[in-house]
Amino acid sequence: MRLAAIAWRGLAVRPLRTALTAMGVALGVAVIAASLMAGQAATDAVRRAAQELLGSAQLRVRAFETAGFTPRTITTLRKISGVNNAAAVSEERVRSVTTNPGPDEKVFTLLLIGVDPADEALIRTYELAGGSFLDDGDPTGVLVNAGWARENDVQIGDALLLNGRRAEVPANHVVGLLADTGFGALGAGALVVLDRSFLAEAFEVPVAVRYVDLQVAEGREADVQASLDALLTEPFVVETLADAERQLGRAQAGFSGLAFLFGLVALAVGAFLVANTLAMTLAERTREIGLLRAAGTTSRQVLGLFLRQGIALAVIGAVGGVVLGVVLASLMIAFLQSSRALLIGGLPFHPLALLLAVVLGVVVTLAAALVPALAAARVSPLDALRPSRQPGRTLGGRLPWLAGLVIAAVAIGLVAYPLQRGESSLPGALLAVAILLGGALLVTVLLQPAAAIVGRPFAAFFGAQGYLGRANLRRDPVRTGLTVGALAIGLASVVALGIVSSSARATAERWVDSILPGGYAIRLAVTDEIETIRPTFEGIIGVERASPISEFPAVELARDSQREVAIAGIDPTAFQDSGSLIMSEGSRRIAFQGLRDGGSILIPEALAARDGLALGDIVDLAQPGGEGQPFRVAGIVAYSLPTTTAEGAILMSLADARDRFGVTDASLWVLEPEDDIPDATFGNAVAATAAELSALPMTSTDLASELGRSLDRLIGLFDVLALLAVVIGALGIVNTMAVGVVERGREIAILRSHGMTAGQVQAMVVAEASIIGAVGGLAAVGIGTLVAVVTVFFAAPGDFVGGLAMPWGLLLAVVLLGIGVASAAGIFPARAAASMPITEQLRHFE
Amino acid sequence: MPVILEARDLVKRYPLRSGSVEALRGVSLSVAQGEFVAIMGTSGSGKSTMLHLLGGLDRPTSGEVVIDGVNISRLDDERATITRRQKTGFVFQFFNLIPLLNVAENVALPFLIAGDSLADHRDRIDELLDLVGLSGKAGHRPDQLSAGEQQRVALARALAPSPAILLADEPTGNLDYTTGSEILHLLWDSCERLGQTIVLVTHDAGAAAYADRVLVVRDGEILDSIDLGRRADHEARPLILRLAALGL
Repeated sequence: MRLAAIAWRGLAVRPLRTALTAMGVALGVAVIAASLMAGQAATDAVRRAAQELLGSAQLRVRAFETAGFTPRTITTLRKISGVNNAAAVSEERVRSVTTNPGPDEKVFTLLLIGVDPADEALIRTYELAGGSFLDDGDPTGVLVNAGWARENDVQIGDALLLNGRRAEVPANHVVGLLADTGFGALGAGALVVLDRSFLAEAFEVPVAVRYVDLQVAEGREADVQASLDALLTEPFVVETLADAERQLGRAQAGFSGLAFLFGLVALAVGAFLVANTLAMTLAERTREIGLLRAAGTTSRQVLGLFLRQGIALAVIGAVGGVVLGVVLASLMIAFLQSSRALLIGGLPFHPLALLLAVVLGVVVTLAAALVPALAAARVSPLDALRPSRQPGRTLGGRLPWLAGLVIAAVAIGLVAYPLQRGESSLPGALLAVAILLGGALLVTVLLQPAAAIVGRPFAAFFGAQGYLGRANLRRDPVRTGLTVGALAIGLASVVALGIVSSSARATAERWVDSILPGGYAIRLAVTDEIETIRPTFEGIIGVERASPISEFPAVELARDSQREVAIAGIDPTAFQDSGSLIMSEGSRRIAFQGLRDGGSILIPEALAARDGLALGDIVDLAQPGGEGQPFRVAGIVAYSLPTTTAEGAILMSLADARDRFGVTDASLWVLEPEDDIPDATFGNAVAATAAELSALPMTSTDLASELGRSLDRLIGLFDVLALLAVVIGALGIVNTMAVGVVERGREIAILRSHGMTAGQVQAMVVAEASIIGAVGGLAAVGIGTLVAVVTVFFAAPGDFVGGLAMPWGLLLAVVLLGIGVASAAGIFPARAAASMPITEQLRHFE
Repeated sequence: MPVILEARDLVKRYPLRSGSVEALRGVSLSVAQGEFVAIMGTSGSGKSTMLHLLGGLDRPTSGEVVIDGVNISRLDDERATITRRQKTGFVFQFFNLIPLLNVAENVALPFLIAGDSLADHRDRIDELLDLVGLSGKAGHRPDQLSAGEQQRVALARALAPSPAILLADEPTGNLDYTTGSEILHLLWDSCERLGQTIVLVTHDAGAAAYADRVLVVRDGEILDSIDLGRRADHEARPLILRLAALGL
């Protein structure tokens, strides 16, 4: 037998421990591989969606004004030299659509996209999951997203009625089902694509042509751009494929990075498991190593023996992890596709991701194996063979290498991270990971005092078994500490996600509340003259005040450039009286007075930060091509009305919007109910009016819930990843407890001989595991909260203006989860302990 | 004196890959209340197996063990364990103590296992520590005690619930002569003064000489029963002569 065979035999002799450890590494590698692949799938999907949306067009000319392009402009665009083909697209953000009236009538709010079927064939390729494409001869045919149709039980041939259409306009019917590609991927699938000529004639006010995609002859892009500047009289913006990718990718910014970080965390937990297992092996086999050393085995040979075990665990774990990773990636992608939380494609073939996951898995496992291996090589034969020898279990000796391991894991992540990083703050994210891992190490140090306190209720509940279970935690503080730490990392991730999610939700609720005075609003499909439609809104039953909001685009003039901004004209008195808008800077009274006096604006914080604007600064705003008009910044608000730009709308008075920009219509009306009207009654009245106007009713509650739901869909995925880290931690508990039980076999036999029943032995081991879980859960609450604080206040402060919102119920649930998971993990070792034959353990040998 | 422990035709077979090995071959014995009985034999003779069966730590393949009127061989594991807790006390050769518990807690272990608290039995624990001469060391950890002191703690623990029988398996096997003698004196003293029934397993004639009666075991059977009577001098010579006569 070669010496190396002892390494394999060392693993084979403890098959359960080896399997659990390899599984821990495999799960870590799997999460890394899966998150990288899912990230790649998301990136690919954005790129593909942008390409599909632009088709063979190189340029998208987008109308600046909400009224869109006139037919004359479209004709001009078609005739520009160098333009081979042009496809005009009309778009209406939301329109209420119903199925045939009757008891089964369904009402949807859909994005309307109008295209010219003949032009589309030259520019874009449509992937259909069923039915046929639009036919020039049948202008009432529409395409809907196949997934959306399935969810809403809409089939080919079903009628769809656009609310607000003119009386003589016929119903539409579904002719085809779009796959989740191209237009089909927009609006989370809630859309209809139909003939633009139909949309142009269906309503009193035609749906505006929002953009025209131009297929340009090769090498003529610059000429075409020059022609656009020279020929177009209406304001426009030119976008390229890169712009489209940027816009689509905004929603998924940070996903890939966050997913990768979770993979790193899972792998770090796996590394804890490996380090612990090999340290246990070393403790068990020290005497055997002493014998080998006494028989002439060199330190280098012993080092090689342990490293071989590390390599074996790494390779088994990494290979298993890749297989698991592909499965996990498929599940993640399927989840994201079904929840529509993210634009995501199919499972990508991404060898680099698999390679990176394998390399990370092997490196981290070997790093974890290295120090036990070095310690084994340093074992002195005399010391190892001394009869009174006790295994070295001091904390000080093992902490430095653990710290080194953590640093190595973070460093590896740092090197690999930019591959998939989104737009989140790298230092903040890494700080969060460092807190997770550092916190786990701190748990190792503080385990004893923590277990002494946390274990009291368990000792009281379980009696002698709880007392002994608590005492058992003192036996090998480092081993137990690492086990608790590994569990705490996974649970802390759940806590951090919960707090971040809850804070984001609170921010969303605060945002929605602050921009909707009274909590109710109606968004019109088509803007209408304020004074014409005002009586309709003021006539709603129970309305105290109806305030219009005029939304229009403008440009902010800087020294030698101009930037697109969105402006909202509001009624300052309505917003002031209802306590809406949260002022970040400036006096509320002075700010609203400034709006009423004219020449003043309120700007959102994000815009102030982007442009370095402060109170009292002058901002020049203009219509495209028009003269700049100076406005003084009278206040900075935490949130403003949402716009297509990320910063939110600049707020001015309706009077300034009318007098300085000539805007006399409004697209949004906010409605304040009378004090004594029940919410349900008023809500119904608002919904009825919205239906009459084919408009969209909105309540702050619905908006906040919708934001919360989209958040939950994404957070839910990360929760699954965090729970995988908890599973790895649980494997660690099984491992540690099983080893502990074997080591304590004789002690358990003595307890049994003094009358401890098998059930009491089980209870003792489960109590020990429960205390581990309780300490892990409580530590996780602390660590996770710290991670959330870092995320909320440092990593992404712009996304959490509402500050920290603590989900107390979740925190309690995590502690209970810790206890539950650990107790479950303790069942197997407990059963093993209870079934050990007493007499075998009492034999007369040392 | 009434019989406190009775074994009837005990057989213990251990299965092997091919066939089985018989460790005990129909052993019967009885121990009277307050009697000090030693079981002697060479390594592999079956003496420890016999002690494990007598104490209810293991089940016989056939035969019965009756402790203080309870047929322990017919009880399920749970009830057998509780009977063991109430009626027996054990002292082993090695690793007798729970290292995480201090001396007082180790002595109180049978009470703790029964669901009582240490405070409920403080007087009894003090009394036992006094008996084994460790009154000042109640708060010490096992690793702060010598081997002899650890074995005294184990003896105090075995006596704690006032068991019907105390079973000791080579309790002096890991101790030097002087310390071992101290432990044997304590055992004899508890028998003499407290009327404690004791079954001692040993291969040492010097230790067996403390007993009232010695059962000699060979190849899983009781070869002979040597009645020594209660003697304060513990003289081993008469026993050694009888053993020599048996060819041991």
